[in-house]
Amino acid sequence: MTAPLLAIEDLVVSFPSNHAPLHAVDRVSFALKPGESLVIAGESGSGKSLLCRSILGVEPETAKVAGRLDWKGKSLLNLSVAQWRPLRGAEIAMIFQDPTAALNPLLTVGRQIMDVVRAHRKCSRNEARSRAIEVLGTAGLPEPEHRLTSYPSELSGGMRQRVAIALALSAGPELLIADEATTNLDVSIQAQIVTLLHDLRSKLGVALIFVTHDLDLAAEVGGELLVMYAGQPVEMGPVDTVLADPCHPYTRGLLRSAPTARSSRRTPLRPIPGQAPKLGAVGDGAPFRDRCPVLISGLCDRSRPGWTEAGPSHRVACHRFEQDGRDGLT
Amino acid sequence: MTDAPILEAIALDKVFRVRRKGAPHDIHALKNVETQLHPGETLGLVGESGSGKTTLARILIGIEEPTRGEVRFEGNAVRSAEGWRELRRQVQYVFQDPFTALCPTMRIGAALAEPLAIHGICPKPERKDRVAKMLGLVGLSADMAGRLPYQLSGGQRQRVNLARALMLEPRVLICDEIVSGLDVSVQAQVLALLVDLQGKLDLSLIFISHDLRVVRYLCDRVQVMLLGDTVEHGPTAEVFDDPQHEYTRKLLDAIPDRDHAARISKSALQYG
Amino acid sequence: MNETMLDTGCGPRPARRTGYLRRHEIGPGLALGGVLVLAIVLITLAAPFLAPADPYAPNLMSVRQPPSAEYLFGTDAVGRDLLSRILYGAQISLIVAGLGMLGSLTFGTLMGMLRGIGPRWVGPIVDRMIDIQLAFPYVLLAIAITSAVRPSVPVLIVLMVLSGWAGAARVVRAIALQESGKDYVKAAQIIGASRLRIAVFHVFPSVWPSLAVLAAMQTAAMIVFESTLSFLGMGVQPPTPSWGGIMLEGKNYITTSWWLTLLPGLAIMLTSLSLVLIGDGLDLRAKRLRQRAAQT
Repeated sequence: MTAPLLAIEDLVVSFPSNHAPLHAVDRVSFALKPGESLVIAGESGSGKSLLCRSILGVEPETAKVAGRLDWKGKSLLNLSVAQWRPLRGAEIAMIFQDPTAALNPLLTVGRQIMDVVRAHRKCSRNEARSRAIEVLGTAGLPEPEHRLTSYPSELSGGMRQRVAIALALSAGPELLIADEATTNLDVSIQAQIVTLLHDLRSKLGVALIFVTHDLDLAAEVGGELLVMYAGQPVEMGPVDTVLADPCHPYTRGLLRSAPTARSSRRTPLRPIPGQAPKLGAVGDGAPFRDRCPVLISGLCDRSRPGWTEAGPSHRVACHRFEQDGRDGLT
Repeated sequence: MTDAPILEAIALDKVFRVRRKGAPHDIHALKNVETQLHPGETLGLVGESGSGKTTLARILIGIEEPTRGEVRFEGNAVRSAEGWRELRRQVQYVFQDPFTALCPTMRIGAALAEPLAIHGICPKPERKDRVAKMLGLVGLSADMAGRLPYQLSGGQRQRVNLARALMLEPRVLICDEIVSGLDVSVQAQVLALLVDLQGKLDLSLIFISHDLRVVRYLCDRVQVMLLGDTVEHGPTAEVFDDPQHEYTRKLLDAIPDRDHAARISKSALQYG
Repeated sequence: MNETMLDTGCGPRPARRTGYLRRHEIGPGLALGGVLVLAIVLITLAAPFLAPADPYAPNLMSVRQPPSAEYLFGTDAVGRDLLSRILYGAQISLIVAGLGMLGSLTFGTLMGMLRGIGPRWVGPIVDRMIDIQLAFPYVLLAIAITSAVRPSVPVLIVLMVLSGWAGAARVVRAIALQESGKDYVKAAQIIGASRLRIAVFHVFPSVWPSLAVLAAMQTAAMIVFESTLSFLGMGVQPPTPSWGGIMLEGKNYITTSWWLTLLPGLAIMLTSLSLVLIGDGLDLRAKRLRQRAAQT
């Protein structure tokens, strides 16, 4: 057993308010070893982006992070700027949904990558240059040596996202966090980037956190799946197990609402009725209770469900599942 | 389909002239593109960014002018401003981004009543009822009329956009990526609504999307576009199950697919 | 994905706005400016009751008296009470500046909207007109015009409109151009809205908050402009008091009778400063309100 790189336990990210603090991420736990991947799936407001930002210590200033957040056995909470420097970008790197936000429009691609390389490692300009070419090649950019002198505006969206990935890889991170990194890209480029992420894991042993709202894409990425709703983890397990045998009503609802590669109008979609609750509106009960088809009244609105085993390393937080198992679900 | 097409694009060319580093050069957004929409059908326009699908749709509604070619509505070429005005009583358009397509300072009720006022369709006192009825049709409560766009969620706004486009009781609705900005569960709600409305209002749809799963679900016919050209078109099931063009095949392979992925991950990609 | 508060990472601000000023995002500058302008306007309206003497009555027995208990602001070269003249002068100065502001704002808004959503061919014409106006030395223009026609209040207001419209036009043009590129304007076009309708019902409401800021700023500029012209003898004609005119009458005695120029000068400064405070405050308030709207 190798020790986990990242260990998170009962992580809570909250915002102060007049009344009780609002929990935007509520008691999330997971661990990640080198080469492993975790897909976090959820919709807007599920807290998935905030969770990623908290790992990198870039949550909004008003947010309060509590719980255990350990990187290689040392806590990442309350680090100073100087303590973050050797970690952020170097050991843990992040790719955002919008690559233009991560790139400086006034500097060439090569200059930006070389800056990052030299900020984290003592080396000559030439070494930095060859490293830049190497990572651009790894990120799947054709003719990387010619791209060094390009400005971000001269590249297409897919190319720009690859540069952003190269930038994230340049200091040789051990954990890569991709926050909706392929959401705005064309399907063919999305597929290429997912393949690239597979390669990074198998060849370089990079651990991956992949955030998405697309469960089909989650299946392509593979690894563990963490489904979040309204800031709370509701189901967790290996991606293909969870998708083949979803045991939380929300996961089931999500899978039924999205058309698959093979569905047609003859198999009507069954959308989840209603809307996701506002931040802080969840209270003590099960987070999904207002939209749940298999609600247990009197229980789900009073107490938050704990984890129930649904199979080997497959866990579900649902009162109905705890009581009736798979038969209780629709 | 044997009936005459309701909306047609004939040999459309669109050239954008851009200046980049001094010398002007031309971008061919559309090259001799034809399209036909028959009454009651749903046509999917599919392609990646830069394929010209949005340009085509915008020419069809007349907010973009073609360099060559023409748009025909019920067999007649639309040429004059008057002609476009007529066309827009019958053909409406819903934008991709629900956050920019609504005037930020106008209340929902006023935004929905506006098409009626412009075309003088129903007397003022009855407009309020029409608005309330339409809000009900798209699954919103009547008290939404008093709200401003920023008070609504993305899904609610997209419903309002649909409602506004439907106020004139059009026969054709062009939907430009209308669900791609929405969450999965909300996307399903809007798709189900669209199917429901199509049945109730006898609409013909042009549905533009880069998400092939949604297109397969919704459309009777698809037209696959690449760099301003149509590379393949035909009934959805045929194109998806037996693609003829290499690009279509490539596009279909790239669709994330949970069943397909599960098979791969069992064989090759076992980590941790 | 559609971004919500959480995903963009802006947490809700701890809600501690309780007072009226806080709830309406009225900052200290805006509050101070508002109170000052309100006071100035009230004093100006009440000039006939507040003025201790007739502003037109000379008193050759007491010329150029320094400020004292009897003459709070002193007297001028022909012995008129300076406080009364400044109070009555305020009426003239504020009315003229106000009318000039209304005129230049109206004309500027029309031109800016025309540029932003009018037919394409008017664009370059309006742009060139703005460029020419901004490059034009309008004090020279004023000298030229007033040498041809007798200076009077209507002429002065026309001059003010000519000098001020382009500033407003530029702001309105920028907003109108920005808004007209957005989908909702195209959506309005598609439901058949005419250009005029789009301008009035869709784009103008977005321009409106900036007009309030512009109005305050323009009034300040107009007060200074009126004073400048009157000081040069091309504005309000004596014996009618206006702040610039009072300074003109006092300028020959600047070395011996400081109050004749300093006190009307202070009135000009205080008024324009409070207007600028309001302008900046409104600008900041609009920004805060937008932020707040974005958060809910």
